[in-house]
Amino acid sequence: MSVVASIQGLTVKYGKFTALNGLSVDIPEGCTGLLGPNGAGKTTLLKTILGFVKPEKGTAHIFGLDIEKRAREIRQLIGLMPEQDCHIPGLTAVQFVAYAGELAGMPKEQALRRAHEVLEYCGLGEARYRNVETYSTGMKQRIKLAQALVHGPKLLLLDEPTNGLDPSGREEMLELIRSVSHGKGVNVIVSSHLLPDIERVCDRVVVVMQGTLRASGMIKDLKSIEGHPVDVELKEEPPGFLEAAERHGLAFVSRQRYSIRMKAPGSAQEAAKLAMLAARESGAQVRGFKVAERSLEDVFLQAVEVAQ
Amino acid sequence: MSAPAGKSTSPILDLSYRSYDGPLDPPTFRWWAIAKLSMRQTWKKKGFWMWGLASGYWYLILMAVFYFADQFSSGVRNSTRVPSGVDPMRAFFEGIKWDVMFVNAFSISQLFLFIVALLLGSGAIANDNRANALLVYLSKPCDKKDYLIGKWVGIFLPIVLVTAAPTLVFYLYCLLSYQQYGFLSQDGWLGLRLLALCLVPGVFHASASLGISSMFSQARLAGATYAAVYFILLFFTKSMETIYRAGGAPNIVANLYYASVDGIQIGLAKVLLTTDGGSLFPAQVGGSMQSVPPAPNGWLFAAIYFATCLGFLALAWKRVRAVEVVG
Repeated sequence: MSVVASIQGLTVKYGKFTALNGLSVDIPEGCTGLLGPNGAGKTTLLKTILGFVKPEKGTAHIFGLDIEKRAREIRQLIGLMPEQDCHIPGLTAVQFVAYAGELAGMPKEQALRRAHEVLEYCGLGEARYRNVETYSTGMKQRIKLAQALVHGPKLLLLDEPTNGLDPSGREEMLELIRSVSHGKGVNVIVSSHLLPDIERVCDRVVVVMQGTLRASGMIKDLKSIEGHPVDVELKEEPPGFLEAAERHGLAFVSRQRYSIRMKAPGSAQEAAKLAMLAARESGAQVRGFKVAERSLEDVFLQAVEVAQ
Repeated sequence: MSAPAGKSTSPILDLSYRSYDGPLDPPTFRWWAIAKLSMRQTWKKKGFWMWGLASGYWYLILMAVFYFADQFSSGVRNSTRVPSGVDPMRAFFEGIKWDVMFVNAFSISQLFLFIVALLLGSGAIANDNRANALLVYLSKPCDKKDYLIGKWVGIFLPIVLVTAAPTLVFYLYCLLSYQQYGFLSQDGWLGLRLLALCLVPGVFHASASLGISSMFSQARLAGATYAAVYFILLFFTKSMETIYRAGGAPNIVANLYYASVDGIQIGLAKVLLTTDGGSLFPAQVGGSMQSVPPAPNGWLFAAIYFATCLGFLALAWKRVRAVEVVG
């Protein structure tokens, strides 16, 4: 899997405040979530990638292009959906998106045609001739996505894309992001502090805290627990189940009512087989069985605790 | 894959996302897209056309005066009571200093050009600041230089149009009608000098309004600030003019007359047209030539003019950024 962004020892300061402190991370193709509490440096990282702020130390390459030397070429390949509301005053949606295309170098006719397509895709087809200033919050989020997509970027930077959206608007926005980031040749970096949003659309996460990297990797890998423990859910726990399980080589880890987490030396499949044997021996009724994993929240909290 | 938010009733059949692989223009003239949008918005403003047309009113009056004087002259020449070969208006026309006519008309149009500049320039960056539009501009493959050049050209060209149209119409009218009265022989280079003159308000107002606009996030505040600067300095220079006309004032008073938005442009106009200026009407020429401050030192004044414009542009350059950097 090739690398979209390669960041090495990036340090960015705003006066005396250090926003990014020697951050190093490689972001591969696909959809990556940039997680971190407020003020962690997520937005600064996106702005540094775009060349809005100059790093004090370190380097970053986007698609192999140096952010300091080839910022314009990089921005040709990137679409930004900023956190704040942004538009060009006095324009209708279709004019705004077409103009964004022209700014990216598209000929006027192509930009206009593409603006119509992208607005339809983002669900603003019927409101395309309205002035953007009259749009609701949800529509403004969509138009920000449309202007970011119009020139066909290879990397989409989304900064808090679900900010201010109601539940249905949030669902639709996440579905749009998931749709565009899977199988369309567009790599996406989603910056957010909303873990469910990230978990919903991203395959990988990068956890940033106080300007440094705290964790990164595939979400399923980060959530997995060492030793492949399994959660066995019983209808009720009969006496002798734990003893039977121990006889078969399963080690007790934790319990939550009738859900018992156990660990076996081998794979999860072997653990499942042993748990079923123990249940049969003790007369326990098994209602559910799954490989135990942490929630993304646990992963995040652990990363943050390490930092503190 | 169909679009998640698409409607089946859409006039576009295929709503799935497709990457753009069409042509792209080279990044060299990206500022032109910005300038074009600014101008497209300008053409839609009624105020621009109204004040732009009004700025040329003095040329219209001059043309009317000359036309009727010419008609009167023809009438008298054809009259049987006047000896043949006598042209009573010849003295009138030959007494005209044509470059002074242009300086006067240019001076009178200043207030109107300022209003046009306010309409076009006060919101140029301030509105973008309010709408966070810089995030859109600067996240695309165009940089701060493209943005400022585009915005500058978007103000400069309409002001040049408003300045040049009546000036050149009047020039052509005089060229076609009054050559026999020395219109061309007084200064063969007048046409080229006028072309240079037409750029003066555009350069100044585009630079000044961009600089001031960049400091605010509301067009009204930017406009009010520029207007305050304009009228305070105008009051000051009018005071200097009054003192100068009273006589006995030191030389510095004549130079301070040019220390305003209007003054700096009128001064440069005098430098470009190589005249000290003069009375509004030809009949007064000579009689009251001493009542207007003379043309300033050309090189020094041009340097001050360009330094002022560059100062405003430097201010805009410093203020324009996609992010607020704290600390």
